[in-house]
Amino acid sequence: MTASPSASSPVQRAPGPAPAANAVIAVDDMRRTFTTGRRRRRRTIEAVRGITFTVARGERLAFIGPNGAGKSTSIKMLTGLLRPSAGSVRVLGLEPWSQRRALSRRIGTLFGQRSLLWPELPARTSLATLGAIHGLDRPGLGRRITELGELLEATELLDRPVRTLSLGQRMRCELAAALLHRPDLLFLDEPTIGLDLLAKQRFREVLVRLNTEHSTTVFLTSHDVADIEHVAERAVIVNHGTVIHDSPVASLRRTLLTTKRIEVGLARAQTVADVRAALGPDIGPVMALGDRPADDGMPVDGIAIGVDTRRQAIGAVLDRVLRHLAVADVSVADPPLEAVIGEIYTRPAATAPAVVQSLRDGPS
Amino acid sequence: MWRTAWAQALANRRSFVAQMAVMVVNDLVWIFFWQVFFRRVGSVRGWTVDDMMVLYAVLALAVGLVLGALANLRFLGPLVADGELDGALALPMDPLGFLALRQVSPVSVGDIAFGIGLFAVVGHPTPARTALFVAVTVAATAVLAGFLVVLGSLAFVSGTGGAGDLGLSAIIVFSSYPINIYGGALRLALFGLIPAAFVGSLPAQLVQHPSPGRALLLAGGVAAFGGAGWLSFRLGLRRYTSGATWTGV
Repeated sequence: MTASPSASSPVQRAPGPAPAANAVIAVDDMRRTFTTGRRRRRRTIEAVRGITFTVARGERLAFIGPNGAGKSTSIKMLTGLLRPSAGSVRVLGLEPWSQRRALSRRIGTLFGQRSLLWPELPARTSLATLGAIHGLDRPGLGRRITELGELLEATELLDRPVRTLSLGQRMRCELAAALLHRPDLLFLDEPTIGLDLLAKQRFREVLVRLNTEHSTTVFLTSHDVADIEHVAERAVIVNHGTVIHDSPVASLRRTLLTTKRIEVGLARAQTVADVRAALGPDIGPVMALGDRPADDGMPVDGIAIGVDTRRQAIGAVLDRVLRHLAVADVSVADPPLEAVIGEIYTRPAATAPAVVQSLRDGPS
Repeated sequence: MWRTAWAQALANRRSFVAQMAVMVVNDLVWIFFWQVFFRRVGSVRGWTVDDMMVLYAVLALAVGLVLGALANLRFLGPLVADGELDGALALPMDPLGFLALRQVSPVSVGDIAFGIGLFAVVGHPTPARTALFVAVTVAATAVLAGFLVVLGSLAFVSGTGGAGDLGLSAIIVFSSYPINIYGGALRLALFGLIPAAFVGSLPAQLVQHPSPGRALLLAGGVAAFGGAGWLSFRLGLRRYTSGATWTGV
């Protein structure tokens, strides 16, 4: 699916499952069970129940799911922190838990709020120590730290004690630590948690730059839909320990949500009830645009109509709007990605395999 | 990396010196107590005040090295239970080594200074005795470190990390007194279960009254507890659940 991108030019690629031969991550029926309690109260929990997917070199993949879905357990198995109970996992051709040390020389990891930096010392000192652990020679390490300072716009931060940095600044230094040894593959578990809007934006831009300019494969877990929208090209959604969705981010809404929203600016103000009456009884939900209550009997100059595309063609509804209303402006919008993902999360576990199958068959 | 950990501890020099000084004063109070005690009773089951001073020097130095220079060993259980090994496991080095060397505790560094100072002042340091003192202290340090790693590794199974502090208190209390005052099963337990004898009395006796038998026994203690620590951590790592509250399968 994905050709190896060149290091010098931005990468154009179509995301999606990679053939195993081209994969930097190849996971087949990965499982992990935990037991809790003692003796009679012993209970087995299947945190991950047979996950299969591949990731191609140079991809930016979001691995998402609600709390308890199995995503953190999965990323820990991929990075060698946890040993799977069953299944096969290869990351850069290595078995993560038995070849952890060799793997750690080729991957970078950033686990949310867990820090590898020494809080009382300048980040530069921590980076120098971590670089030495990675076996980087001193002159090369100095150059690399300078390079990362520029890439992450953190040059002036590197000489300040870590405890004096804001969370966003610290996360940039943590990312520098994860990138010191030029990893082929970067694992990030909730990297933007707790960051403010600007810091998040900056962090996302850095991840995309890393990927496009340096061909670093990015594997990201996050609860923040904006991380997925702005960083990932492909989303693998897990719930109840299994993959329930795997597709390019761009097609998530199109494939999975069957509602659209038509927003209409009215040339002449009308009440919502008049609009409903004009459009007919079988029209979808109609509401006033802006902060107005659903229907307060007062004329409004803008409305939104929800359309269930399984029942009504979007064109037919638009045609009715144009014929029966005095339209000043009209637009058709996809629902927010957050709503799409929320809809997937609420599906019962039993429907998961069907969802995955339907997606493999292609968008409907 | 050790240099970085020291630099971190020294970042606030005033606090470092103050904490060190408090520990030295604390140790001096004990020495004062033993001096007064032995002046009154002369000896206890063959142990004189000189023997006690050497015991204290070895103990303070070993405890200072483990709790001061390898400070995280004391907290290994909580680190395991809370999933704090993740960062160490993501690096191309031994995770136990990384954790042990990552942090220096200024309070216990006071013990190191005190142990060295005490031996220099009242330990009758000749080149031979100094070499022996260094050797037995390294051995005591290895036994104490191994014991703490075994206790910390219990967290891989139990999911809680409280055993380390309990065991540490026990070993320090029991190793602060001459082994001869304990009898029967308890004395045996201090060589096997809680290896206090290898951290205090036996190394001190070896400096004061060297013998091949004692040297062999101490070497055996190092091999047993050092090995147990290494093995328990390796085996435990297979069960590591990275902070999950359940036990791994």
